[in-house]
Amino acid sequence: MDGRKKPTSSGAGASEARKRKEPPTVSGNNRNQAKDTHSTGRSLKRVKFQDARNIRTQPSDAALEDGRLDLQRFLNARQFEIKALESSIQKCKSVNATRVFQQVPRAMRRRTASHNVRRVPKRLRARARKEQIEDNTPTVEARKRRPRTTRARIRAETVKKLGILSAKKRTKQLEKKAAAQGSTPSSRVEGTIQATVQTRAPRPKIRRNTLNEPPSLKSKFKRRQINKTWLPTHLWHAKRAIMTEPTRPLWRFAIPCTPTEKCYRPTHRASGQKGAVVWDVSYMSTVGLYGSAQSLERVLKALGLTQEHLWSTRGQNWRAGLRKWTGLLSQQTKDTRRDIGPGTFIWNPEPPAGSVEETNPERPKKTQRQILIRTHPSCFLQLFNELVKVAKMQTPQVHVEDLRFEIGSIELTGPGSTETLLGVLQPYYNKPETEETHGRVFKSLAGVANPASLPTDALLSFSAKDPRLSYPPKRIAVTNGSNDLALLELLTKWPVGEGLKPFDIFSREGRYRASQLPRQKIINRRKGSNAPGEAIPVTAADPPIPVMLLASRPTTGGQAQGTWTLLAPWKCIPAIWYSLMHYPLSTGGNPRLGGLDEQRQVAFEHGAPWFPGDFPGTDAGSTWELEQRAKRKRDWDRRPKGKRVEWKSLDLGAGRRGEIGDGLACDFEYLFGLPRKDLAKASRANENSTTENPDAMDLDDIKDTEDGAPKEHASAPRSLTMVRQMSKTSFAALLTPSSVDKTPACSVITVNLSFIARGVANPCARIYRLPTAQASAVSPPSTETEVPSTEPPFKGPGSLPKHLRDQWLKLGTSNAGSLGGGKRAKPGPAPPRIPPRADLEVRKRLLAESILTTGPLPYPRPAANQTDVGGHPLCPNEEDLIGFVTTGAFSLSEGRGTAIGSISAEKALAALKMAGGGREGKFCIVRNAGENVGWLARWEAV
Amino acid sequence: MVRLKDRYLLVNIIYSDVPAGQQSKGASAGAVPDLLVYNQPTTGELRPQLLLKSIRAEVAALFGDCGAGAIDRSLQVKYLSTATSTFILRISRSHYRLVWAALSFMHHVPVRNGRPCIFRVVRVSGTIRKVEEEAVRRAKLLILAAKREMAGKSSGALDALLRGKDDARNLTMVVDPDDDSEPENGSAMNDG
Repeated sequence: MDGRKKPTSSGAGASEARKRKEPPTVSGNNRNQAKDTHSTGRSLKRVKFQDARNIRTQPSDAALEDGRLDLQRFLNARQFEIKALESSIQKCKSVNATRVFQQVPRAMRRRTASHNVRRVPKRLRARARKEQIEDNTPTVEARKRRPRTTRARIRAETVKKLGILSAKKRTKQLEKKAAAQGSTPSSRVEGTIQATVQTRAPRPKIRRNTLNEPPSLKSKFKRRQINKTWLPTHLWHAKRAIMTEPTRPLWRFAIPCTPTEKCYRPTHRASGQKGAVVWDVSYMSTVGLYGSAQSLERVLKALGLTQEHLWSTRGQNWRAGLRKWTGLLSQQTKDTRRDIGPGTFIWNPEPPAGSVEETNPERPKKTQRQILIRTHPSCFLQLFNELVKVAKMQTPQVHVEDLRFEIGSIELTGPGSTETLLGVLQPYYNKPETEETHGRVFKSLAGVANPASLPTDALLSFSAKDPRLSYPPKRIAVTNGSNDLALLELLTKWPVGEGLKPFDIFSREGRYRASQLPRQKIINRRKGSNAPGEAIPVTAADPPIPVMLLASRPTTGGQAQGTWTLLAPWKCIPAIWYSLMHYPLSTGGNPRLGGLDEQRQVAFEHGAPWFPGDFPGTDAGSTWELEQRAKRKRDWDRRPKGKRVEWKSLDLGAGRRGEIGDGLACDFEYLFGLPRKDLAKASRANENSTTENPDAMDLDDIKDTEDGAPKEHASAPRSLTMVRQMSKTSFAALLTPSSVDKTPACSVITVNLSFIARGVANPCARIYRLPTAQASAVSPPSTETEVPSTEPPFKGPGSLPKHLRDQWLKLGTSNAGSLGGGKRAKPGPAPPRIPPRADLEVRKRLLAESILTTGPLPYPRPAANQTDVGGHPLCPNEEDLIGFVTTGAFSLSEGRGTAIGSISAEKALAALKMAGGGREGKFCIVRNAGENVGWLARWEAV
Repeated sequence: MVRLKDRYLLVNIIYSDVPAGQQSKGASAGAVPDLLVYNQPTTGELRPQLLLKSIRAEVAALFGDCGAGAIDRSLQVKYLSTATSTFILRISRSHYRLVWAALSFMHHVPVRNGRPCIFRVVRVSGTIRKVEEEAVRRAKLLILAAKREMAGKSSGALDALLRGKDDARNLTMVVDPDDDSEPENGSAMNDG
């Protein structure tokens, strides 16, 4: 209004002018007020802040008595000042400028919908609501929002219609029920008859030698699990973790990838120093085997458990069911053995001799043994098929059962993991006499800070109480020094062999009984009638939960934290999980949630390879690699052209251009010279060009990824599956001078890389061996490039410096982080220092001298990256390429870059032999894909 | 987000001469305690605008246009109590030394016929709250000193002014047990 009439004037002046011009009318006043209230939010707030920040003062007369100094007045003035200042502090505090969502703990802080009151913790909600009203924050409730798009409108209408329908149905049912109750008893005869027949609740069927069906589900969730299976704790995880995409499940499971909160460093801390990390790894597959002991032994041997110690007296404990065994399984192919993946084997103990005779006195039955195999879901199908094949060949036959959705598992690691388990699992027994030995051993484990301190491959199996009965879990008593001796004795003796009975988790009946846990509602009711804070007493309705605990050490050994694996019936996992996540650790906080990324992180920090990602020589590993390639390609395609690596224009120095192989892949096909395509396509490619043309390969690769991600094992076996994994022991056997074996073609070994000085490797980084002295001197140009006219004539194009190997070795011996200055040749001797006391004339003379004496600069200037890359030695040629990094990052546990990679066994062997067993044989150069600087590292087979 | 970094200066105006009226009237000019002489009230003519103007002028005289420009925008009087001769200035963190220097060079109350005085910076802080707390603490010290004066014990007024080491600590223990940030030396904290 003001603006229209008098655009130049503003503020109070304008309003005054208007007042003078037109008499204040009622309507005008109203409008004016309305306008004022519009901007109240800000202005009111500003007035409030100004008011709060204003400190009251007295005039100077207050401190004077008739213009004279006076002690009493002086005192009063000071007292007034104190009051004024203190009230000012108070007022400023009360009109705090921070908003509630700024006070949320770091892990819970989020930016999305921070205006939403419901997104802040409950204790802050009232304040948040008040703040919103105060500054008029626009809030929208998603439920009440008007649908904007056509699709949303249709959806909203459908929801409305469905609601009406279901309401109708409900009323109909109610009417029916009312009618049934009101009718004569004769009409209910059928019902009563049904009630009298006692039927056993249906048990899940497990058929022999066939795959198990996923658990039957509530119809509400059925449609979401057509292509995949949810973990038992899916609903819990889906709220707290980033899950795999709904259309792209991993290994046919919806798996939590990583928690939604930032947790890289907290996970590192919790897994190594303080706390615990917990994973729901129910996706791990379990297979049961049963048959006679001899047949089982033959089956296991067919799977590659041929180690001497397993079947001799050393393996006695394992075969008795007191220890587990974990290792790589393999399968026989036409000519050689091929790795499947890691598996854990647990034998079920035999029933005590006396009890067998009692049960079957007349017919001493042949003892049937049972084995549990736990393996990764990515190699499950391969293992299962192989098992069925081998099992059918045995006489007497061995039977295989798929226990995938029967047994779930939870993994824990970190110093607090044992404490957490102790706080949550309580051994279940009715009378003290029936207490299981394993349960007693478990209870006395308090004080163990590392699961790896238990005997190697230890396992405990006992029945546990439903953890919900003693929810919330309470902190266990901290052990004092006197207990340490007893604990040490326990750990050395490990008395788990006494009174051994078959484990309950092996029996279908026991697992089934445990999965009939009372519902949460009933537990709540019982809790209500119980005294507050006390555990609910166990009744006959609470079945014991058969659990099995496996303590594993990190594969790399050392002092690193071990891992607990808890096996329990699938349906009992949620009950255990909720208690685990709420256990109050003695070091503060709760156990942390982990996802797949955290599992990889922990393995990486231990320097251990992670299956399947770091095992490209297995089928599961090659599938993983192909998926990762497709993913990297997708990400690369999505980037704008100017911001992505242009592989062809990468300058590797000495005139070499272009990335070696595919920059987005751990290109083992390139390393071993394997054809890129399926057989049909490969033959076509061979017709076109038999030589390895990098351009053509790039094109092929693009086509590959356009075809879509590899779906199943059937489509996966391409040339990548010809790569084979070689174990550390067989590689070591090849190293012995007496060995006459030839290295199998296309075999890779997994190595742990640690950088000598600097450098961080990313996945897909290239690993070179040190350049061979002769080869680099006479090496032909790797690619056709124009000879730059500025090239010094004495040097052939693309040839590497003769002493490149020495340059690299020098980096290894000097052990210094800074490499820059030393390599670059100085143009001349350093000019003499000017003495500090020199006068101006002397200084001038010296300066002039120094300028004149500088040697002639090379002309024409050498082209960049000819002899070095900014003072750094050049990368070797591609004939020295030996492998690729599969996992690499800055390792928080090492404090520098480390990596896990796979290198060609043949080339590594050659490098070792050339070095003559010296330490330089294990030196390698790691260069990230798309970069031209390599870093010196040392590899160690794992 | 850029956070504006400020410093708050707590400044006392300290006099050394007895006001003219008191000298002429009272025959016993020496009867006025030192405590009162040092901490006299400032004339009511001193307004924040006047104070700012004079500080700016002094900075311009000392540091030229560059200095004057540096402090021009951020200098602000947050509190000016003429009855107790105390004021709080706010100034950007990078230039508070200019203002401090200017204050050290001023020796008159910046009004017409201003009395001679000195401006003493007693506390520099990053938050106004800490400055206020310090002002409260000093006022409490002065009250205690004044009460002692009334009781007849003529303690050193300079002690109260300069916060004699052990005395001040004892006093603060009595007066304000919450205040645990007790600097050792009597001068202002220099945390720039």
